[in-house]
Amino acid sequence: MTDYEVRIGDEPVSAADGWQLEWVDRPSGVARLVNGGRSLHILVEGSGPDWVVTLRGRRIPVSVRSWRERVMAEAETAAHTHVGPVEVKATLPGLVVAVGVAVGDQVEEGAALLTIEAMKMQNEVRAPRAGRVVEVAVGAGQTVATGAALLRLE
Amino acid sequence: MSRSPSLRTDSSAPPFRRLLVANRGEIALRVIRACRELGISPIAVHSDADANALHVRAADRSERIGPAPAGESYLSIGAILEAARSSGAEAIHPGYGFLSENAAFARAVEEAGLVFVGPPPSVLEALGNKLEARRSAAAVGVPIVPGTTVALEDDVSAVEEIGYPVMLKAAAGGGGRGMRRVDEAGQLSEAMAAARREAAAAFGDGTIYVERMVAPARHVEVQLLGDRHGGLAILGERECSIQRRHQKLVEESPSPAVDDHIREALFDSARRVAATVDFHNAATVEFLLDTYANHFFLEMNTRLQVEHGVSELVTGIDLVAWQIRVAAGERLPLDVLQAPRRGHAIEVRLYAEDPYDGFRPTAGRVGVWRMPDGPGTRVDAGIEADTDLPPEYDPLLTKLLVHAADRPAAVDRLRRALDETLIGGVQTDAGFLRWLVDDDAFAAGDYDTSLVAERWRTGPALTAEERSLAGLAALEARRAAVASTTAPATAPIGSAWGERARREALRG
Repeated sequence: MTDYEVRIGDEPVSAADGWQLEWVDRPSGVARLVNGGRSLHILVEGSGPDWVVTLRGRRIPVSVRSWRERVMAEAETAAHTHVGPVEVKATLPGLVVAVGVAVGDQVEEGAALLTIEAMKMQNEVRAPRAGRVVEVAVGAGQTVATGAALLRLE
Repeated sequence: MSRSPSLRTDSSAPPFRRLLVANRGEIALRVIRACRELGISPIAVHSDADANALHVRAADRSERIGPAPAGESYLSIGAILEAARSSGAEAIHPGYGFLSENAAFARAVEEAGLVFVGPPPSVLEALGNKLEARRSAAAVGVPIVPGTTVALEDDVSAVEEIGYPVMLKAAAGGGGRGMRRVDEAGQLSEAMAAARREAAAAFGDGTIYVERMVAPARHVEVQLLGDRHGGLAILGERECSIQRRHQKLVEESPSPAVDDHIREALFDSARRVAATVDFHNAATVEFLLDTYANHFFLEMNTRLQVEHGVSELVTGIDLVAWQIRVAAGERLPLDVLQAPRRGHAIEVRLYAEDPYDGFRPTAGRVGVWRMPDGPGTRVDAGIEADTDLPPEYDPLLTKLLVHAADRPAAVDRLRRALDETLIGGVQTDAGFLRWLVDDDAFAAGDYDTSLVAERWRTGPALTAEERSLAGLAALEARRAAVASTTAPATAPIGSAWGERARREALRG
């Protein structure tokens, strides 16, 4: 039943011969991997095609896609190569300590846009691609949650 | 207020009736537990971000001290004193960090007629200035790292005399802030400016000094406990060389690098440094140890350390309880002053940090939270399952400690404990720690402060087996998710609810 394509990063994953998964507590994702004489506790979190498996303390993102999801994702990637607006979002919650760009600025890919302080560390938010800043949604001194819109590039 | 010293041997007379714990997270819980055991009613404090935190629910009551930013809550001397007054606390324990080494706070506590669980304010002042501490240590014949004992100004001839590489350090320093390694003259002026800026921002004092870079080096510290009557217990040393950003990740006692000869020299230096100040409380004297077994004094901290539990495990002495009893005027008894040390203890700190990305903090929400248990295993946690991590504070989630008869057994126990640990929702340094217990240098006890930078770097690539196992788990999880949405509306077999329903049916 090879109904899904399993990938880690850009590489497909080969089968884990002899290993089986046993659920310890399925709603929370706690499970065991067992192989005859060996076993280890792991955690499996996620839904749909996106999963994170915690193995010996390391969180490993795994994509599990059906044929249909693969076709749709490929279509979306093709669409993304056309230049459209991009919303830059906060990847962690924190305090905006500095905004280095203003509406109308042209930025290169990787350029520092603003600085968010979280857990006593300053984190630069960088431009995902080159473009022009069309909207700045936050100011210095503002607290932002994960996923909050910070600014838009066009 | 003065208290008559007592030699309390039973628990009929608690040292205080109520004690305010001016901290949060795991250390607040640790102090609350000590209060419970001493018959003291613990009072917590909380910012708005912590209104529902574990330490708040563990205390008898909790006082709100301000909004989430630490500067307006856990660092607010006025708010904390007001909380102590309105709750009727007789003493304040500052934990570590925040106000624990703030002389103005200690003085304000005393002026309010309360007992500060810590040294006199004058001691905090003297030791808070690292330059002054260097001068006093040198004056009593304790070796210090070669460098300046006065502030480094624009005249940098001192740096040329010491020779590169050097370390720039903040006079008001601590926690690795304001520290800069400089490898050549060309980097000096920029590094000095950066160190001064960072020191000024962190401590309100931009004074810096310079030390010779001791490398390779191990970071070893001696645990002390002093009473108000001149009693001083030396409770062994701790090895703290595994660090990132000059902050500790792993501590163990005894140090694998310290033999009886080195230990005697370290204890003698620690005793001399301690004698330069009239202190009581738990304290730590920190040293660098070079490859020729020379030790150099770094600093003395007269507060509880994050890693105090390591010394508690090898000595059997409850450092937090004794901090409180000593603050109330009790004398240290002989069994504390001459406590033997037994076995080997290791602590690892679990931080919400990504070790595969330079130990970058990973804020978010912790979901699953399964902690290890069993013989010789201690968990000092500050959170529980399903907890949002406030971005305002230190990303320490829990400390995991193990104790065993010797070092190899302790390492085996740590590996077993880490394998029982599961934390969901955020990447932690557990991946690094699990790698560490299998690392040859760590297993041999042959490591120094460069281990993280030189042996771990950003961690090993995933092995083929790890990739296959993760892939299998994710595939099975997706299949199970699909099956459960198409299955009839009964709980899936193997789930907690299904298990419970089955047990209840059997009980009938």
